[in-house]
Amino acid sequence: MEFKCQMASGGVKINSLNNISLDILIPEIIMTIGMLMIIIIPNLGDAKIRLPLSKIHIPILIGGTRFTQVNNPVIPSIISIITFSLATLMSLLMLLNDNTGVMEPIIEVNQFTSLFSMIFTFALLLTSISSLYRLPSQANAKIPDDSDSEKSLNSKITILMNNRRQVDFYILLLMAGLGMCLVAKSTHLFMLFVCLELASLSSYVLVAFNKESTIGGEAGTKYFIVGSVASAIGIYGMSLLYIWNGNLEILSLTNAWSQMDSLDPFAGIGIGLMLVAFGFKVGAAPFHLATPDAYSGASSPIAGLLATASKAMGFVAMMRILLIITIPENGEEAYWMIALAIISVITMTWGNFAALTSTNPKRMLAYSSVAHAGYMLAALAAIGTGLGDDESNALILTAVIFHLTILVLFKFGAFMVLTLIENEGNNHNMTGLHGLARRDPIIASSMFIFMLSLAGVPPLSGFLSKLLMINGIVNISAGTGSMASVAFWSWASSVNMIFWLAMAIVINSAISLFYYLRVVMIMFFEDPITNKPLARSLYLRLIIIFCAVLTLLFGIGPLSESLLEIVNEAAQSFL
Amino acid sequence: MGGECLSLDILTIMTITPIFTGIILLLMPQILPKDVATNFEKVTRNISMGIALGILLIATMLFFGTIGSIDWTAIMQGDYVLKNDQFSLISSIGVQWKVGADALSFPMIWLTALLIPISMLVEWDAKRGHLFHPLLLIMEGALLGVFITLDLFMFYVFWELTLIPMFLLILVWGGDDRKYAAMKFFIYTFTASVFMLIGILIMYFHTTPIPGIGSMSGHHFDLVAMTGQTNLIPSEGLRHFVWILLLIGFATKMPSVPVHTWLPDAHVQAPTAGSMLLAGVMLKMGAYGFLRIAVTIFPESTVVFIPLLIFLGMASLVYGAWVCMGQTNLKRMVAYSSVSHMGLIFLGIATMQPLGIAGALFMMFAHGIISPLLFAVAGAFKHHYHTLEIGSMRGIAHHSPYLSGHMMLGWMASLGLPLMAGFVAEVAILIAFWIEFGWLVMLPALTLIITATYYLTSMQKTIFESDDPHQGKLPDSLHGEKPRDITWHENTGMFILGILTILFGIFPFIFWDMMSSWSTGFVSDVLIDAMHNKDKWNSSVKWLVEVLK
Repeated sequence: MEFKCQMASGGVKINSLNNISLDILIPEIIMTIGMLMIIIIPNLGDAKIRLPLSKIHIPILIGGTRFTQVNNPVIPSIISIITFSLATLMSLLMLLNDNTGVMEPIIEVNQFTSLFSMIFTFALLLTSISSLYRLPSQANAKIPDDSDSEKSLNSKITILMNNRRQVDFYILLLMAGLGMCLVAKSTHLFMLFVCLELASLSSYVLVAFNKESTIGGEAGTKYFIVGSVASAIGIYGMSLLYIWNGNLEILSLTNAWSQMDSLDPFAGIGIGLMLVAFGFKVGAAPFHLATPDAYSGASSPIAGLLATASKAMGFVAMMRILLIITIPENGEEAYWMIALAIISVITMTWGNFAALTSTNPKRMLAYSSVAHAGYMLAALAAIGTGLGDDESNALILTAVIFHLTILVLFKFGAFMVLTLIENEGNNHNMTGLHGLARRDPIIASSMFIFMLSLAGVPPLSGFLSKLLMINGIVNISAGTGSMASVAFWSWASSVNMIFWLAMAIVINSAISLFYYLRVVMIMFFEDPITNKPLARSLYLRLIIIFCAVLTLLFGIGPLSESLLEIVNEAAQSFL
Repeated sequence: MGGECLSLDILTIMTITPIFTGIILLLMPQILPKDVATNFEKVTRNISMGIALGILLIATMLFFGTIGSIDWTAIMQGDYVLKNDQFSLISSIGVQWKVGADALSFPMIWLTALLIPISMLVEWDAKRGHLFHPLLLIMEGALLGVFITLDLFMFYVFWELTLIPMFLLILVWGGDDRKYAAMKFFIYTFTASVFMLIGILIMYFHTTPIPGIGSMSGHHFDLVAMTGQTNLIPSEGLRHFVWILLLIGFATKMPSVPVHTWLPDAHVQAPTAGSMLLAGVMLKMGAYGFLRIAVTIFPESTVVFIPLLIFLGMASLVYGAWVCMGQTNLKRMVAYSSVSHMGLIFLGIATMQPLGIAGALFMMFAHGIISPLLFAVAGAFKHHYHTLEIGSMRGIAHHSPYLSGHMMLGWMASLGLPLMAGFVAEVAILIAFWIEFGWLVMLPALTLIITATYYLTSMQKTIFESDDPHQGKLPDSLHGEKPRDITWHENTGMFILGILTILFGIFPFIFWDMMSSWSTGFVSDVLIDAMHNKDKWNSSVKWLVEVLK
C-alpha cells in the first residue's frame, strides 16, 4: 500500500486568515451571529457591576432582571426567522451573482453550493415559521410562589420550562443549518463528515424535542441509535479511504481513483461503507427503517426538515462521492451502478407500498419521501452507466437538484399543513384531516396541490422534476436498443437495463397516486370531527399559500424556466 | 377590437380565459369579505355561463369564417390554421406554446365549446353552484388545450389537467359510491397516461434539434416538427414499442376493451354535467390523440398492428353491446353503449380508407352530441325519479312527456336511425370496412342489431308499457311524491342537443366535407407509403380476409 500523500495541488496548505475572503461564507457567518444573538439577547438584563471601592455601577447587561423587551419567549424564534431569511437572501444573491471562491483545501463555493445553502436555509426558515405556532410559549408567565397549590405550581413550571426551551430549539435549528450549508461547501471528506455530524446530531435532538407526545423521545432515541451506527460505518469507510490514499481531499481522491488500474479493495469497500452512511441520510432502502418512526415521532416542522433539507444534505454528500470521486472518465460503467439501480428500485417500491398502508399522515409522507429518494437514486444510477456524455449527465443531475429544490415547497408545504392540524392536538392519524375542505377551503386546496405535486401530476412542479428524471434516464438508455431490431422483443432485450428504471418510476408514481389521493378523499369527504375553523396562524397560513403558488408557478412558465436555468448552471458547476 | 390582432391568437384566448376565470371565480369568495362573497356566489354561474357562451360564439364564428375567414374544407393534412407566434415556455427542455387547428381538431373544439354551456344549463341549479360552474370552466380550458396544442409536453399537461376538475366533479357532486369511482377514474387513467408519457419521451429523444429551443437537452416537443421528421425513430422494434405505449394511453381514455372498466363506474357516479363531458369530449381525446400522434407519426406501426386495432374495435363493439343488454342501470347501459361506439372508431381507422377515417372522425363528433343527450336524460331521471333502475318504472311518458321525448330521440339516434347524426358515421365506417375487409363487416353490422335490441327493450320498459295507461308504475324511490317533468333548463339543453342530432343527420356535410377532405389528404400523404408494406400484415388476418372474400 503506497501512500499518495500530498499529491493534489500540494496537499494541505496552511492559509493565513488574511488570504481568506470571508465573503464566500456569508450565510454561515450570518447563522453564527444569529446563534450568538439567541444566546445573548434573551439574557439581557439590568445587571450592574459596582466598581470596587466606588459607588459607580456599570451596567453589564447580561444577567439580572430581564428587560421587558427581551422577556418575550417568542424572541428566539424571531431571531431565528430573521437569521434564516437573511441567510436565504444572501445565498440567493450569491447564486445570482455567481460568487465563487475556494478556501484550500476544505471549502469551495460555486453556484451548486450556493443553491444548496439556499435550499437548506429556506427549509429551515419554513421550519422556524411553522414552529412559531407549534412550540407552546406564553408571554406573561408567572413566577411560582409558596401560595400556589401543587397543581398551579406544576402548570406554572411547565409554562416556564416551555418558554425556556424555545432557545434550545432554535439554537439547534441554527446549528443544523450551519452544518448543512458547510456540507454542501466542503471539498474535504473529513470536513464533510464533521459538518454532516453537526447537522445530524442537532436533528436527533430536534426529533426528540417533541416531548408532548410519548413517542417523541422514542423516535429521537431510535433515530439517534440507527443514525450513529450509520455514521460509525461511514467513518470506518472513510478510514479505509485514508489508508488507501493518505489524504481525504476530494480532488486528491478523484485523481487517485482515476489512476487506479483495477478496483482497490480498500477504496471499493471504503466508498461502499460511506454510501451506507449517506444512504441512511437520504432514506434509501434498506437503511430507511428508522425514517418513518423518526418522522412520525417528531413534530411536523421537524419532520418536514428531515424530509427536505436533511435529505438534500445526504444527496449532496452522496453526489460528491458518486459523481466526483468514483465516476470513471472514459464512459465506463461505474462499479456501484448495478447496486445503486437495484437499491433505487427497492427503495421506491418499498416506500410506495409501505405508504399505501400507513394511517398516520406523517408516516405516509415519510414513506413517500423514501419513494422519492428512490426516484433520485435511479437518476444517479443512470449517470453511473457512463452511457451519457457530459451534457446528458448534466441534464440528469439538473433533474435531481431541481427535484430537491422544489421538494422544499411541496413536501414541506404538506408538513406545514399538518403542523396547522397538529396544533389542534391531532397528529397520529388521518382524523385531523377529515373534512378539511369544509373547514378551511384554502388550506385544503393547498394540500390538494401539494399532494398532486408529490404524485407528479401536471402542470405542477412535481411533474416537471419527475419528467426530467425519467427524461434523463430515457435519454441515456433508449438509444442503446438494437437499431436493427424489427420486433419489439428483440429491442427490449437489447436495451440497457437502466431503461427499465424509467418504467419502474412510472409504475411507482401510478401506485403512489393511491395514497396521495386518499388524503384528498379524506379532506373532501369525511365529516370533520369538529366544526371549529382552524387556528388563524397568519404567517404559517401565508407561507403555505406562498408554497402552493410557487409549486404551481415552478411547474410551467417563465419562472420554471429561470429556475431550471439556475439549476442547470449549478449542475454544470458541480460536474 | 382589431380583428387581426385578435385572430392571431384566438385559440390561446379561448383556452386561457376559462381556466383563469374559473380559478378566479373559485378564489374570489375566499378573499372577499363575507357579505360581498355571498352576493358574489349568486352571480358566479351567470359569469361562467357568459364566458362559456362567449367561447361558443367565437368557435362558431371561426367555423363560419366570420373571424379569420378560414375555408375549412381547404385545410390539407399537415396544415394548421389559426397558428400563433410560437414562444417557448420552458425553453431549456424545448417546451413551446404552439397552437393550431385543423379539420381533425376543429370539430372537437366546437364540440367542447358547445357542450360546456349546455352541461352548465342542464345543471343550472346544481348544489354549490358557485364551485360547480367554475370547475366546468376550468374543464373547458383543459379540454380545449388538449385539442389546440401542437406541443407534446403541453398536450400531456392538458391531458392530465382534465383529470383534476373531473375528479373533483365526481368526488363532490357524484352519486353514493362516488369515492370509489373518483379514485378509480383518476388512478386508472393516470396510470395509462404515464405509459403514454414514456412513449412521448422516447419520441422526444429522437428529435433533431431546432435552433433556439431546447438549449439544455437539444430536443423539442414540437409535434409538427416531429411529424415532419422522416423516420423519427430508426429502430423498428422501438417504434412498435412506442406505438404500443401510446396506444395504452389512448385506448384507456377512449376506452377500448379490455381497459374500459373505469368508464361505467365513473359515469354512473358522476354528476350529469360530468357524464356529459366525460362521454362527449373526454373519450374523444383518446381517439384524437391516437390519430394525431400515434397514427400520424408511426403510420407503419399502425399498418403492422391493424389486426390488433380490428380486434380491439370488434371486442369493444361486440362486448360493449352485449353487456348493455344485461344492464338494469340506465347510466351504466349508456356508458357501455359508449364503449361499443368507440369500438367503431378503431374499426374506421383500421380500414385505412379516406371514407373509414372520415367516418371515424364523424363518429367522434356525432357521438359527442348524442351521448351527452343520453346522459342528460339519464341525469334528469336520477334527478326527478331518484333512481336509474330501468325495471323500476313503467309508462313514464304519461308523467314526463318531454323527458320521454328526448329519451326516445337520443336512443334512436344512438342506435343509428337514418337521418340522425350517428347513422352517417356508422354507414361510412361500415362501407369502408366492407371495401377493405369484405364479409368481416357482418360482425359489426350485426352488432347494430344488438344495439337496437337493448335500446328498444329498455325504452319499452321505461317509457311505454304500463298496466294502467293513466298511472303507469312509478319507482319506489319517489316515495309517493308526484312525478314531475323536467325543468326548463334541462329541457332547453336537451332540445338543443336533439335539434343538432337531427341537423347533422340531415346535413352531415356541415362537418363532413372538411373531415373527408382532411382524411383523403391524410391517407394519401401519411398512410399510403406505409400501406405499400402490406406484406407485413399479420398473415392470420390476411388469411381471414381472403377466406371471407
